[in-house]
Amino acid sequence: MDERLIEILEDIQPEVDYLTCTTLIDDHYLNSLAIISLVAELEEEYDITIPTVEIIPENFNSAENMWKMIQRLQEEG
Amino acid sequence: MLSISTYYSLQYLLLLSAAVVFYEIFPLRARRWVMLLFSYLFFFAVSGKLVCYLILSTLSIHHIGIWLSDVQAESKAKLALLGKEAKEEKKALSASYLHKQRCIMTFAVILHVGMLLMLKYTPFAVENLNALIHFTGISYTFRLKKILVPIGISFYTLQAVAYLFDVYRQKIEADKNLLRLSLFMGFFPQIMEGPICRYSDTAEDLWKAERIRYDNLIAGGQRILFGFMKKIVLADRLNLLIKDVFSKYDDYDGFVIALCAICYTIQLYMDFSGTMDVVIGSAQIFGVKLPENFKRPFFSTTISEFWKRWHVTLGTFFKDYIFFPLSMSKPLKKLTTKARKKLGNHFGPLLAGAVALFCVWICNGLWHGAGWNYIFFGMFHFVLILLGSIIEPAAIKVTQKLHIKRTSKPYKFFQIIRTTILVCIGELFFRAEGLTAGFKMFKKIFTNFTFATLKDGTLFQFGMDKQDYIIIGVSVILILIISILQERGMHIRESISKRNIAIQFAIYYALILFIIIFGAYGGNYVPVDPIYAGF
Repeated sequence: MDERLIEILEDIQPEVDYLTCTTLIDDHYLNSLAIISLVAELEEEYDITIPTVEIIPENFNSAENMWKMIQRLQEEG
Repeated sequence: MLSISTYYSLQYLLLLSAAVVFYEIFPLRARRWVMLLFSYLFFFAVSGKLVCYLILSTLSIHHIGIWLSDVQAESKAKLALLGKEAKEEKKALSASYLHKQRCIMTFAVILHVGMLLMLKYTPFAVENLNALIHFTGISYTFRLKKILVPIGISFYTLQAVAYLFDVYRQKIEADKNLLRLSLFMGFFPQIMEGPICRYSDTAEDLWKAERIRYDNLIAGGQRILFGFMKKIVLADRLNLLIKDVFSKYDDYDGFVIALCAICYTIQLYMDFSGTMDVVIGSAQIFGVKLPENFKRPFFSTTISEFWKRWHVTLGTFFKDYIFFPLSMSKPLKKLTTKARKKLGNHFGPLLAGAVALFCVWICNGLWHGAGWNYIFFGMFHFVLILLGSIIEPAAIKVTQKLHIKRTSKPYKFFQIIRTTILVCIGELFFRAEGLTAGFKMFKKIFTNFTFATLKDGTLFQFGMDKQDYIIIGVSVILILIISILQERGMHIRESISKRNIAIQFAIYYALILFIIIFGAYGGNYVPVDPIYAGF
């Protein structure tokens, strides 16, 4: 897991254990505004474009899933 | 002629029973055709020859879906031919094919949403245009012939648009099978009032056309009965009071109007969630799992949460196809990045979020109907949700200073009551006969409120007696208890089905008897028209 990703997440929404939490969306830790902020930040940090189709709970429910999505999008170029 | 105006009719139950019998006696391949035939028969019974709109919509998305898919395949094939080094060429090719797909999507959205706008909103537009013309002193009036609007068009148009967007985003593959797509678009239990399904939710279940199973039949039947109870015992009974007060609000004081706003909120919930019970139960009989549209909304602590629990499929449609695409568009993304650096994590994304949220709530208001009160209803929720986000950090600080634990039960209870009151105010404007009437009624709650009405017999003027109020109270408490149990994770229908068969049937008969004895039909009662079918 990328440390920078955890830093970004903690900056947007502190007081969540991002290493273990797998219900970030389902349990409302990250709301729609946090997602808007997060997507803008991830795109800038990792030089990727996150299409709307990727904005689904499965991709954002855990830091691990987010990291997988980032890697996939980087590979797809 | 076969005519159906509501799910709560003998005609619907007869059509459902006939569909079950014919579906069961035919082999797999024919079952799909039987389902489609019954779906169009149902739509014909509801909307007559306007069934042609549904068929045309289906044919249109079938063709456009394949068109999109062909363009995507062509793009992939051409990109594959280019070597790894030809990065610039690949980029240009992708961009040109993306542009082509966007043109197709623009055409598709104009076609489908344009049809909806034309049929549903032309009278509203003409009415306002005439008012504007008269305001400027010109005596000309545009006249419009009555436009017949097919029931359910607001629901199936959104399904059609969602299907095309999912193909465009390559979330699903375009369906070349016209029969499967027709079943997805026209499945009869959901055609009138939703839920708004995604292709990935139901198409496969419908295509499987499994044999009817005993457990599905019983579970579906239970759910239908529960829906009938909500509608016939509660929604129809409350109609006497609601109809009278909303049409003659000048005759009543603030107390009656406040009571009526609460009753209308209960009625709307019982009518729509009851209909969803009938719809989802009917689909379950055929082994089709429809998405839930209600998740006990009156346990919400904020308006934002309320809309995640009330008419869920409409909310997720707006979130997936309007809110996120808009807030993730290039200009708004740039705005978010800049604003975050200046305003921080909380207020930074609020600007982009507010623009997207505004569009969502304008659409939500207008989706419900062509009228200024619906637009106000949308804006009312937009302001409440936005305010909720703006004042959240301040609210956290205040509660911390006052040593109030935000996760405590009393605080949660306070939040639930506050949210419910706000919802009732919104519904008052939603139901009012025009925006002016809504404001007058709302004003009366504060300027002409007296508890004296409780004793002077006003509450018995609507054709409702003491027994009606007791039945309403008992039924609401019963549904509240069931909701609390569900909220705690209990699956009531499953636990009933695990009981002894005699107990199971005792419960079903008790529910049937409850509906027959305490149902509000005959006499003074006038059943409320299916509220959401009008949208």
